[in-house]
Amino acid sequence: METWKRDIVRQLKHRDRNQHAMFQDLIRLYSRLLEKTSLTKGLLSSSSRHPSSDSSRSISSLVHQNNQLKKTTGELAYQVVELQQQIKIKECVLEQQHSRLAEQQQRVAGAFGARQVLQDRVEQVQEENGVLKMKYDLLLEQQKGAEQNLREENVRGGHLLEDMIHLKQQAAARMNSRNERKSRAREANLQKQLQNATGSKVTVDSSSSAPTSRSTSPKAANHSNSSDRGHTRLFRSASVTSPRILTSIKGLFEKRRGHSVCSVDEDRMFPVGICLSARLPVRALQVLDAHEQGINTVKFSSSSDLMATGGTDRLIKLWDVRAGLLTHRSTLDGSTEGVTCVDFDPTGLRILAASYDKSALLWRLDDSVPKLTLTGHSRKVTAARFSGLHQVVTGSADRTIRLWDLQRAACFQVVEVASYCSDLICSENSIISGHFDSKIRVWDARAVSCVQELPAQGKVTSLDISADHRQLLSCCRDDCLQLVDLRRRSQERMCFRADGFKCGSDSTKAVISPDGCFVAAGSADGAVYIWNVSKGDLETRLPDKHSSSISAVSWSLSGEYVVSVDKSRRAILWSDI
Amino acid sequence: MADDKDVLRDVWYGRIPTCFTLNQDEVTEREAEPYYLLLPRVSYLTLVTDKVKKHFLKVMKAEDVEEMWFEYEGTPLKWHYPIGVLFDLHASNTILPWSITVHFKNFPDRDLLHCPSNSVIEAHFMSSIKEADALKHKSQVVNDMQKKDHKQLWMGLQNDKFDQFWAMNRKLMEYPTEEGGFRYIPFRIYQTMSDRPFIQKLFRPVSPEGSAHTLGDLLKEMYPAAIPNEGEQKRYQVVIHGIEPLLETPLQWLSEHLSHPDNFLHICVIPTPTD
Repeated sequence: METWKRDIVRQLKHRDRNQHAMFQDLIRLYSRLLEKTSLTKGLLSSSSRHPSSDSSRSISSLVHQNNQLKKTTGELAYQVVELQQQIKIKECVLEQQHSRLAEQQQRVAGAFGARQVLQDRVEQVQEENGVLKMKYDLLLEQQKGAEQNLREENVRGGHLLEDMIHLKQQAAARMNSRNERKSRAREANLQKQLQNATGSKVTVDSSSSAPTSRSTSPKAANHSNSSDRGHTRLFRSASVTSPRILTSIKGLFEKRRGHSVCSVDEDRMFPVGICLSARLPVRALQVLDAHEQGINTVKFSSSSDLMATGGTDRLIKLWDVRAGLLTHRSTLDGSTEGVTCVDFDPTGLRILAASYDKSALLWRLDDSVPKLTLTGHSRKVTAARFSGLHQVVTGSADRTIRLWDLQRAACFQVVEVASYCSDLICSENSIISGHFDSKIRVWDARAVSCVQELPAQGKVTSLDISADHRQLLSCCRDDCLQLVDLRRRSQERMCFRADGFKCGSDSTKAVISPDGCFVAAGSADGAVYIWNVSKGDLETRLPDKHSSSISAVSWSLSGEYVVSVDKSRRAILWSDI
Repeated sequence: MADDKDVLRDVWYGRIPTCFTLNQDEVTEREAEPYYLLLPRVSYLTLVTDKVKKHFLKVMKAEDVEEMWFEYEGTPLKWHYPIGVLFDLHASNTILPWSITVHFKNFPDRDLLHCPSNSVIEAHFMSSIKEADALKHKSQVVNDMQKKDHKQLWMGLQNDKFDQFWAMNRKLMEYPTEEGGFRYIPFRIYQTMSDRPFIQKLFRPVSPEGSAHTLGDLLKEMYPAAIPNEGEQKRYQVVIHGIEPLLETPLQWLSEHLSHPDNFLHICVIPTPTD
């Protein structure tokens, strides 16, 4: 601020102090005083006017005024007392109000406290909720991820399914084309041979049944389209094969040759071998991985130089047994699922297999395509056996036993049984079946009714009959083998147990040796156990060759060889040489 | 600025303590007591002395009352001068309160103007404003105002309402920025020792070179005797509103802030008291 301005402001303040402030109050109070005096003057002047007229009247009026004033004072005093009482009452009320207020305040404080507590609780709960929510969110995310994975897997599964269907279709197409080709080739072959046969000269040989068989050929050729091809034996007539069988067996093999009659014959005889003494195997002659997957069953044919194995890989492999060696001869395919059991027919020319695909299949040995497929079971077929030349009996997990006629390729009888049938044996007129309900049932083949029920020790996993059809061996799930004499019909049975012998599965197969002196079975520990029938105890144990549970054993009809197969594809040929 | 506002307020609310005494020659029923009053500097005598009249009428008979007039130490007080000017001119350095004698008879027609009613005061006030604006703005601003604005100016003065008055008066204090100030400064210089009532001439606030004129410049031009020469003692006091502003105070600022409500800058030149 400039000096002149400051000066002016200062001077103004000074002036006001001197002239205004100092006199302000004085003049104000003076004016008020003046007013008051004029008022009182007025009052006095007004009151002073009255006594000028009449003194006495004025005195009485004054007295009157005095009395009035006294009355008013009295009234006022009374009013004062009353008002004081009212004040006291009001004060009481006020105190009450105060006390009530204090009470209420306390209650409010208490309520506040409670509210605080509740608020804390609320916060706590909210925190927990928050934590839970986080966990929930996490889980939700995980679940979403899992769902996503599931969806992807489903899609992949769908793709795989499509691929599999496609592959199966391709396989079916391939099989169809192969079948067609084979049939066409066979037809061509047939035609060629017919032509050759008609053109060639034949020498009649009286010692053999050859001419009769040969003469059947033209007639048979006419039936080429019929389903019973088993009778059109162009090459593999018994006479042709028998010399070969003879040469491969070393002695003690007596053959009965039946006369072959042309055309359909039920009573055709076939070579039956009898083993006079079986040899106890000592060591493994050959170990080989016979199949791609586990092997379920093994069987020697009635001629001891042929063996068949069947497994989970849906194939049946035929092996030649020669000089202690197994050589693969051929493979039969056609089953769509694993093979449970194989059986050779009495002539040794056909092979029957029971399969997981609820059917039984029949092959001719030279043909890798099955001749017949017997379907009708509703669950896996556990056993299929030839009953005579033209009948087949199958037992299945669907608790039925079916009898099939091969010429018609149809089931002509269904027998309901109470339990899952695990194995079958056909002997002369009876069918013997072993069941999971620990019973062995004997059926009459013609009347097809249950003749006898034999109890077993546990779930029957397999049956075997001795060569003389007298002894029945059953293998049970509770690790024991049981031998029953069928003829005597007594309840006497022999039980074979051993330390370490454990029945490895529901379909472990045990066999009686061809001479009936030994029983053999494979154990879950991979060792072959052989018991002596007459002594009843373990004769020998062949360990260390199998790495997994043995599923089946078979003894060759000559008694020389024992073959055991296991679940890890291995087949071992045992002998005593 | 806040200080300027304070100056305006202080100027408006300036008061002079006065003691009104009835002339002894007046006929009274009783003895009249003196009447004390704080008179506003910026107002006019006849406007603010109603109470005085009422007070003294109480002790007088109605037939003896004529027009009231005031005198100080023999000098009749002209009511059309602002009270502050009268005080500064006649009783500036005397003891307070200012003692004024009240007369009800023998009105001096030669010295004083009659004031029968307030409208006379209003007319005088408004004419002063218009004259001032004529000097400042060539009467443009005051002529742009409406009648109610003029009324507001008068009502503000009459009722002692600072804000009401200055709401309108600030328009009269504006000037175009390129000018640097008013056209001419409205001022009157009063002196006691002369027969001239006052000095009023044309004077510009800004010199032709552009520098602002000060109070000193004005006095040098109009009343050079008021300014002491070098080394001399001060012989005269230059009083505005009861204070002596420094001679270097800018004239434009003085005109804006230290004018009276009639927009004139009333300057009193009085001999310095020798005591």
